[in-house]
Amino acid sequence: MRKKELKLVVAFHTTADAMAMEKACKEKSVPGRLIPVPRSVSAGCGLAWCAALEERGQIVELMQNAGIEEEALHECMI
Amino acid sequence: MNLSDSKKKLALAGVLCGLVAAGLAYFGNPANMAFCIACFIRDTAGALGMHQAEAVMYARPEIIGLVLGAFLISAITKEYRSTAGSAPMVRFLLGMIIMIGSLVFLGCPLRMVIRMSAGDLNAWVALIGFILGVATGVLALKKGFSLGRAYVTNTVSGAVLPIITVGILILLTATNLLKASASGPGSMHAPVIASLIGGLLFGALAQKSRMCFAGGVRDVILMKNFDLLTVVGSLFIVMLIYNMATGGFTLGFDTPGVIAHSEHLWNILGMYAVGFAAVLAGGCPLRQLILAGQGSSDSAVTVLGMFVGAALCHNLGLASSGTSMNPETKELVAGAVTTNGKIALVICIIACFVIAFTSKRKAA
Repeated sequence: MRKKELKLVVAFHTTADAMAMEKACKEKSVPGRLIPVPRSVSAGCGLAWCAALEERGQIVELMQNAGIEEEALHECMI
Repeated sequence: MNLSDSKKKLALAGVLCGLVAAGLAYFGNPANMAFCIACFIRDTAGALGMHQAEAVMYARPEIIGLVLGAFLISAITKEYRSTAGSAPMVRFLLGMIIMIGSLVFLGCPLRMVIRMSAGDLNAWVALIGFILGVATGVLALKKGFSLGRAYVTNTVSGAVLPIITVGILILLTATNLLKASASGPGSMHAPVIASLIGGLLFGALAQKSRMCFAGGVRDVILMKNFDLLTVVGSLFIVMLIYNMATGGFTLGFDTPGVIAHSEHLWNILGMYAVGFAAVLAGGCPLRQLILAGQGSSDSAVTVLGMFVGAALCHNLGLASSGTSMNPETKELVAGAVTTNGKIALVICIIACFVIAFTSKRKAA
C-alpha cells in the first residue's frame, strides 16, 4: 500500500475547472494528478488537483495565467 | 466517524446500506425493489396525485428519510451548506431525463444493482448502457462541459426540500389526504417507522460515504479510482447474500414478479440516458437526494424534475410494463416498452447530447 504524504490539494468550483487544470498542467508539464476531492475537505463529489507541496507557487501562477479559479488550496495527507 | 478515509470504511458503509435495503425487503418492500429511488419517487408522486396509476401510489418514507438523514447528519457535522445558481432549469430537465430513462428500464441505478444481485440478467444488460452513458458524460467533461458554479445562498433556501419532506411525512401519518395503492407494487411496503428509520440511516451513510452509482463509474473511467465503487460493490454483495439466503436469487431473463422486461436495446438505452444525464447533473438519483438534503438547491431542482418526469411517465404512457404471470392461465406475459416511451427516450438522449456539448466552461 502506498504511504500517505502531505500534498497540495486544489479544490475547484466545478468539475470543468478541474479538467481545465489537468489540461493546463499537462501543456506546461507541471506535475500532479486529478483525484476525487478528499472527503476531509468537502462533502461534495467533485475533482481536485493533487501536487507536491513545493509546486504551490508554480500552480498558483499557472491558474492565474489560465483563468482557472480555485475554491480553496488545502494541504492534506494523500 | 469518518467513513471515507479508507476503502475498508467505505465498504462498511456499503454493507450497512445493503443491510438496510435487505431489512426493508424483509419487512415488506417488494423484494427486488427493496430500495429504488426512481420507483419510490414515482410512488410518492402518485400519492400526491401527480399521476393516476393506481398500482404505484404511496408516499415512501424512505425518500423522506434519505433527504432528512442527509440534512440532519450534515447539520450535526457542520457540512450543511445552502448553495444554488448552477443552471437550475437544465438540472430540472436532467432530472426528468433521469426519471424517464429509469422508468423505461424499470429502476434507478440502485435498483439495477439490487436486480443484478437477484440474478436478473436484464439488469446486467442494462449495466452496459449505464457504463456507456457515464463514459459519454465523462467525454463531455473532457470536452469542457459545465453547468457553471453554484453560490452560497440564504440558509433557508437549502432547507426547503427537507421541510417539504417533513410536510409529506405529516400528511402520510396524520391525515388520509394522500393516495395509497390497494394492490400492486405501491401496496407492498415495510411499516412506516421501519421505512423512515431505514431511510434516515441510508441517507446519513450515503452522505458520509458520498455513495453515488454514476460517480463510482465516473471515477474509475476518469481516474482509475475505485473508492466510490467500493461502496456500491459491498452493497451488491450484501444483497446477493440476502437473495441467495432467502430464495430470491433466480438467474434468468424472464422472471415474473421482478418487475422487469427483456427488451434488451431499451434496457441499455434507458440506463444509457440515466448514466449520461447523471454525470451531467453531478450525481445519480440517490446522490441528488443526498445533495439536496445537505443544502444544494440545484439538486433539489433536479429532484423536482424527477417528480415531474415520474408523473409524465405515467400520464403519457412512457413507463414500461414488467413481465408477469397470468394468474388464470399461468402463462408468461412479457413486459414491454411502450412506443411513447421509446420516442421519449430517444428525445431524452438527443437532449443529453445537446446539453453536454453546448454547455461549456467559461474561463475566470
